[in-house]
Amino acid sequence: MNTILTVYKKEIKDTLRDKRTLITSIVLPAVIIPLLLFGMTKLMNTLMKKESDKKLKIALIGNTEAFKKQLEDTTISLISSYALEDGKTAIAKDSLDAVIEFTPEFTANVNELKSGKINLYYKSTNLMLEKRVSEKIDGIKNGILNERLKKLNITPETLVPFDVTKVDIATAKEQIGKMAGGFLPYIFILFCFLGCMYPAIDLITGEKEKGTMETLLTSPASRFQILIGKILAIATIGLSAALMTIIGMVGGLKFMPNLPPDFLATVNDMVSIKFIIMLFAMLIPLSIFFAGIMSALVIKAKSFKEAQSILTPVNFMVIIPAIMATIPGIVLTWQTAFVPILNIALATREIIAGTINIGQYVVVVLSLIGFALGAAFLSYKQFSKEGMVLK
Amino acid sequence: MIEVQKISKQYSLTKKQQKELQTNASSINAVNNVSFTCTPGSVFSLLGANGAGKTTTLRMISTILKPTQGDIIVGGESVLNNPEKVRTKIGFLTGSTNLYDRLTPAETVQYFADLHGMDRTIFEQRKDKLFTQLGIHEFSKKKIAQMSTGMKQKVSIARSMIHDPSIVIFDEPTSGLDVITANSIIELIKQCKLEGKTIIFSSHIMSEVDLLCDELAIIHKGNLIYSDSMKNFRTQHVHQSLTEAFIDIVKNNGRKELLA
Repeated sequence: MNTILTVYKKEIKDTLRDKRTLITSIVLPAVIIPLLLFGMTKLMNTLMKKESDKKLKIALIGNTEAFKKQLEDTTISLISSYALEDGKTAIAKDSLDAVIEFTPEFTANVNELKSGKINLYYKSTNLMLEKRVSEKIDGIKNGILNERLKKLNITPETLVPFDVTKVDIATAKEQIGKMAGGFLPYIFILFCFLGCMYPAIDLITGEKEKGTMETLLTSPASRFQILIGKILAIATIGLSAALMTIIGMVGGLKFMPNLPPDFLATVNDMVSIKFIIMLFAMLIPLSIFFAGIMSALVIKAKSFKEAQSILTPVNFMVIIPAIMATIPGIVLTWQTAFVPILNIALATREIIAGTINIGQYVVVVLSLIGFALGAAFLSYKQFSKEGMVLK
Repeated sequence: MIEVQKISKQYSLTKKQQKELQTNASSINAVNNVSFTCTPGSVFSLLGANGAGKTTTLRMISTILKPTQGDIIVGGESVLNNPEKVRTKIGFLTGSTNLYDRLTPAETVQYFADLHGMDRTIFEQRKDKLFTQLGIHEFSKKKIAQMSTGMKQKVSIARSMIHDPSIVIFDEPTSGLDVITANSIIELIKQCKLEGKTIIFSSHIMSEVDLLCDELAIIHKGNLIYSDSMKNFRTQHVHQSLTEAFIDIVKNNGRKELLA
């Protein structure tokens, strides 16, 4: 055990001095993710506000006098001098925001209690425009409808035979967990994998490439002790990357502006002791699983470059089950609890939603431990082969 | 003491390797039925051309590779039955420094001392002695990556000798080194001999072999074709330099192979 600890401590020290590993495992998840979350939200809010406050230039075509007042306000300026084709060209050139065309028979149709027709020309890339103009047009529509009802002596209730009140029993936490809970594991699983990747290549292939493996093998440490020390060090870095991602995301979400209170409460629940323990129990075997699989694969490589090309396709094998967990309808069952990566992603979603079945959670943890041991064993089998560890 | 007892090392060939070597054989013998003995307080030189089987033999002695046949007894322990015990007795030094770039010399020797389970006080004394002898103190806190090849080789020596091994294996230890650093290694080997250590020395530099060696063995295509004391070797090849005699022995063996 002392020898494993000696190898482990040296590998951790060595790895933490590698800038590439530090950036991938610590800086990226801990700094970039919250910055992205915070920055993107801030940017979105600013853009939306800017678009909402933007003064729109809208051309009106047709018999529009009766509706001009309803359409106009301080943020919309109306122009009546455009022909339709000129208006479309102006929209394409961004010198006009929209054209509202009341067809020639509009007034007659409306007066005869028929349907009039309005055409709205705009660019969908002009954010918020459709919403803002539609609100105005809906106002006109509702005004005409109310007048017609009055004329026909019909109350608005006549048109609504009954009301349906939908009561969602799911708590806000449950709704948020089910909807957005799949996103968190996707990110931390990915970073856990990336966090393991560079140390695995460096500590296994790198050591083989530099020739230090040969020297290490002449020490009294057995191959088993060397490998376990290395796997544990790789797993620790992967685990740190996953934790940094979670801390980064939770921290970023907590300080995000204008977050709905229900969402904030769910985020706060994620920093509870129970959540952390439950997550750790899954993350530890997951990181060992990644470390074991990667060690078994990169040991064949003769160079850093070759090891990278071996591990790149494995990325997809991790991303696919992690993405699957974000698809609605794929849930944690007794069967999916045995599928590595997918099981931790689904279980995390259920934990966030507060709907985890403890029995299934235990199966997830046990199966992850099984996969971790299997990966470590596979790696040991490879490491024991003489030709594998020498240049 | 090292007793190499009829060791062989066979590698099975993949189809790709068979194609590269243009052979149908399913395996290849890197070392074939090799035996020799190295005694304490003497330098045993293992000579041979590139690919002759020297490094494979040294790797088997240091337990990195397992003999397919035969056994090696290192300091009374079998490499087959007790490889971990064997490794506590040996120090292994090659020409390529094989060090961890991001560690300092102090951290490097500490790591290997810990792997050898050395007592802290003994380690500190031994480290201080080696660092003084090799002049490492002045750069002991510098990262290996920032060092010159000479400095690295000194650290490599300290790492191999930190646990005071009774058996030291030098596999082309001076290759690619400048004269001063190479000389410090020659001095180290002499020192080890004086201390009564068992030394195996493999090199292509015949002047070093001539200077250091007490026993000599020549390995060619995996077979031991010559083994005797340096004294006898010199008597047998009075009018030849070591290089000329070595080439003769290897060539004669080639002729014998052809005739056979």
